[in-house]
Amino acid sequence: MKRIKSLILSASIIAVLGACASTPKTIDELETARALVPQVEASPRAGIAAENVSQARQSLERANKLATSGGKLEDIRYESVVATRNAQIANEKILTAQAKEELAKGEQDRQAVVLEARNREADNARLQADTAKQKSASLEQELKDLKAKKTDRGIVLTLGDVLFDTGKATLKPGAYSTIDRLAATLKEAGGRKVQIEGHTDSVGSDELNQTLSQQRADSVAAALMQRGVTSDQIIATGKGEGFPVASNDNAAGRQQNRRVEMIFTDDSSRVASDAN
Amino acid sequence: MGNPIAQKLAGIVGTSALLVLTTACGGVTELTKQQVARSETAVTQAQTTVGTSEAGAIELQQAKETLSQAQQAMQRKDDKTAQRLAGVAELDAQLAVAKSQSAASRKAADELLASIQTLKREADRSSVVNSEK
Repeated sequence: MKRIKSLILSASIIAVLGACASTPKTIDELETARALVPQVEASPRAGIAAENVSQARQSLERANKLATSGGKLEDIRYESVVATRNAQIANEKILTAQAKEELAKGEQDRQAVVLEARNREADNARLQADTAKQKSASLEQELKDLKAKKTDRGIVLTLGDVLFDTGKATLKPGAYSTIDRLAATLKEAGGRKVQIEGHTDSVGSDELNQTLSQQRADSVAAALMQRGVTSDQIIATGKGEGFPVASNDNAAGRQQNRRVEMIFTDDSSRVASDAN
Repeated sequence: MGNPIAQKLAGIVGTSALLVLTTACGGVTELTKQQVARSETAVTQAQTTVGTSEAGAIELQQAKETLSQAQQAMQRKDDKTAQRLAGVAELDAQLAVAKSQSAASRKAADELLASIQTLKREADRSSVVNSEK
């Protein structure tokens, strides 16, 4: 800066000494400086390049003064070029600062996006876990767990005779866990109906077997209703000894025939029509 | 640099040198030699910073040419011209560096912004896929 001052000094002395060169109406370098310097001065980030902005202004002022006082063309050009270069440097510094601000802000944004994505992933995982839970709680899943079989009549769950005392219709406590689970899922699936069928082996009179089978079916129905399943969801029927699933000639076969079947159809209407 | 008396003296020396120059063929002042040396350093540094990148290449070329003109002026003992040209060459070199740096920062910022956009798009897409499951 001081050096430039000494140059002005030299220039003005030379001017005083009488080099009265006539200056042209427009000097390109001066016009460029006049256009550029106010631009960088107006930038809100001008402070970042304060030194260059101030040098640019000072050189421009000198150039203007020289131009109005009829200074030498080469001096005006020189000051104008110095003003322009400083304004250009200031402009690049301002642009650099601007880009760096964007970088800093962008880094924050990027972290926010990553965090958001991570949170959303966690939410999705939770959602999927919940859905899976719901699925497992559904009637189908419950029946599958209880080893129910899919048949033409619907899903059939067989409660073996081990759940009843011999010749009696009272449910043994061992049946309770199965009944609890069925009751819970039936309550949840309010529209679903279940057909309960009692079956016996061929031992004993038909009449007795018919009664026993009906009583056992009723006993299961009662246990379900005790646990909150509504009566309109249940149809209990005694089927007697007429529908064996195995031979009545041996003990193992007879045991298979003594059973209560619970039939769940795919929709409530089919059970209703089946019952008719 | 900070001593005002020295600066003033330098100014007077410069002035007298110029006056001498206008009348006779004087020598080159120490100040001019220093300025030319400083410009040479600035150009070398700019060369390193700009390297082969496009941004600042023109300004660097400009700086080299101006410096070479300054050196020629110094050789023919044109002190004032040498000093001025060397000063402009230094500014050219500084501009080359500033341009190269601002281009690098801009590129980095743009790349980051683009990567954020990609991240956002991917995050949105994965959330859509998951919600359709």
